[in-house]
Amino acid sequence: MFSRSDVHPQAAVDALPGGAGQWAAVWRASQLGQVAQRVWPSGWPALDAALPGGGWPGHGLTEWLCSAPGAVEWRLLAPLLPSLAAPLALVAPPQTPHPLGWRVAGWDPRHLLWVQAQSPAERLWATEQLLRANATGVVVAWLPEVRAAQLRRLQVLAAAHEGPVLVCRPVSAALTSSPAPLRLRLKPLPDWGIEVDLLKRKGPPLTQALRLTALPDALAAVLPARLRPGARPLPSGVDHVVVRPAVSLVAH
Amino acid sequence: MLWCALRFPWSPTEADVPGVAAIEHATHWALAITPRVTRQDEAVLMEVQACLRLWGGLQALQERVAQQAPRLGVQSLAWAPNALAALALARAGQVDGLVAPLPRLLDALPLHTLSALQPHADTLAQMGCRCLGDVRALPRGGLGRRFEAGLLQALDQAYDQRPQAHAWAKPAERFEARLELPWRVEHSAGLMDGARHLLWQLSAWLAARQEGVTAITLHWAHDAMRGREVGEGGELSVRTAEPTRQTEHLARLLAEHLAHVTLAAPVGELRLLATDTQPLSGASASLLPDERQPAEPLPQLLERLSARLGPDRVLRPHPRADHRPEAMCEWRPATGPAPRGDWPAAGPQPAFLLPAPLKLVVRAHRPQYLGELQLLLGPQRVEGGWWDRDDAQDTHRHVARDYWLAWSAQAGLLWVFQTRPQAGDASPAWFLHGLFA
Repeated sequence: MFSRSDVHPQAAVDALPGGAGQWAAVWRASQLGQVAQRVWPSGWPALDAALPGGGWPGHGLTEWLCSAPGAVEWRLLAPLLPSLAAPLALVAPPQTPHPLGWRVAGWDPRHLLWVQAQSPAERLWATEQLLRANATGVVVAWLPEVRAAQLRRLQVLAAAHEGPVLVCRPVSAALTSSPAPLRLRLKPLPDWGIEVDLLKRKGPPLTQALRLTALPDALAAVLPARLRPGARPLPSGVDHVVVRPAVSLVAH
Repeated sequence: MLWCALRFPWSPTEADVPGVAAIEHATHWALAITPRVTRQDEAVLMEVQACLRLWGGLQALQERVAQQAPRLGVQSLAWAPNALAALALARAGQVDGLVAPLPRLLDALPLHTLSALQPHADTLAQMGCRCLGDVRALPRGGLGRRFEAGLLQALDQAYDQRPQAHAWAKPAERFEARLELPWRVEHSAGLMDGARHLLWQLSAWLAARQEGVTAITLHWAHDAMRGREVGEGGELSVRTAEPTRQTEHLARLLAEHLAHVTLAAPVGELRLLATDTQPLSGASASLLPDERQPAEPLPQLLERLSARLGPDRVLRPHPRADHRPEAMCEWRPATGPAPRGDWPAAGPQPAFLLPAPLKLVVRAHRPQYLGELQLLLGPQRVEGGWWDRDDAQDTHRHVARDYWLAWSAQAGLLWVFQTRPQAGDASPAWFLHGLFA
């Protein structure tokens, strides 16, 4: 037996076996948290490693803060789609969804459901109904004007929803607090990249933003070698990568 | 045999419309419990021995009946081994005919409890008979000679000494229920209380017929104090995607539709019709729990969303064979039939389309959108649509475009196109059409 003075507090904490057996319930703040609910692997190994539980959590909100609505959401979501058995519901997407662009191997875009809610109240109502019913696989809701109290209500409702619930908000929302247990800031990068910065997660803060290379399959099939990821960084200047169509060729 | 008698304060022989409707509804309600239901005088009688297990035993069924009977308008109810005894006990105000041997219970009942004795009640009273036991004590031979044969027969049947034959009731062919509201209702939301009662009657009728409803119509009649320009009333038809007989589901749907209705005058009466029904068998339970249990099935959710937002705002994509990106898919109401067909083969496509192509500013022959665009890949030529004519405006939606994949540091990957130069155009225009997300 140890006497109290024998053991350094840090040593005592280190002696706790982490994440196994009866100590599975002990979570050290320096470790990545575990989640009790089912998670949905995102399809990005680097991202899964950084997400608690190894994927998008079910039974809870996930906030995506996007610099431009409609710029990266689908590319980040696409690898998840083939694992879905139920429809994917889009609440008030920023533009008209184009099902052919959502076509992924193993997933038919006929499972898309487009809810055209317009006013903020309608968007919240439609999202609430979808969460309550738990009849859809994933709910993606664009809620640019949602308030913290309304998000808290959605978070409570999302606990009953089995699949991931993704709330897309403008990047300015990063400055305010949110009840969502997982918050990501997304930004498109040149060379097919998406920058994913985990603002909030159960675990230590991420020191460096993740960079995912997201090239849609349909594009990868037709892309010339010089444009493939990592071939060479795209010039940041005004030069075009391809020869611009010569106006002089126009026949008058 | 086990019988339950539900006795009403009205007799169907009196031309009492609410009474007849209530007994009719009680018959439907009883038919949902057991198929063996019969009507006698002012009571509805049901035989429940064969369906006890379905309802979880006698005690559970008795509780269920006792709980719902007041809502049906039942005055008294009784349980007994045969129909006549159950009716006699209900008339006497006794509930349980199973606690003691039947003769002991019946002997103490007054004469009016058996319908066959009622015409002779005075004669029998003068003979010194006060209760059924007294009549039974009289010599059978004399009783048979002096009174009609039905009397002795009814007495024997009540005491379980002779079998009974019943004319079993059948549910009505079509459903129409009427309800006079207890007060005038001025707002459409206030109609829901009355409508809910009618829906409850509807679900009993549907359960009795083993059917589900796909369309209902609610009529309302304005009261006599309405203005001259206001009509007789109005109506609202509601369709469901799948046959259903759940009161809650129908009530929620009706409430969403009623919310859009403005009443022209106060309403005094409601009428509910089942416009369209389809056979619907009960759901069989599974030994193993389902892996996924939605709190509400998807069709019901879609109906509710469509009712509030409008059917053209809850959509599903249907493939169309076309080369023009905006025509490759047709968004149709999600409550309609499921999408069929294959998606057209196409090159890389964006995830979002703009509702209408956005014309871009061109500087030095280069398109601009939140800064200058870098054209990555292209052109992909799309030409077609000469067959897609708009006869009203005498135009056609023929397109001739060269699509390019473009990169913008602010907006990400974009899908832009250049119109093909037509004769007379100085320079081709650039448009933004989609986002690659």
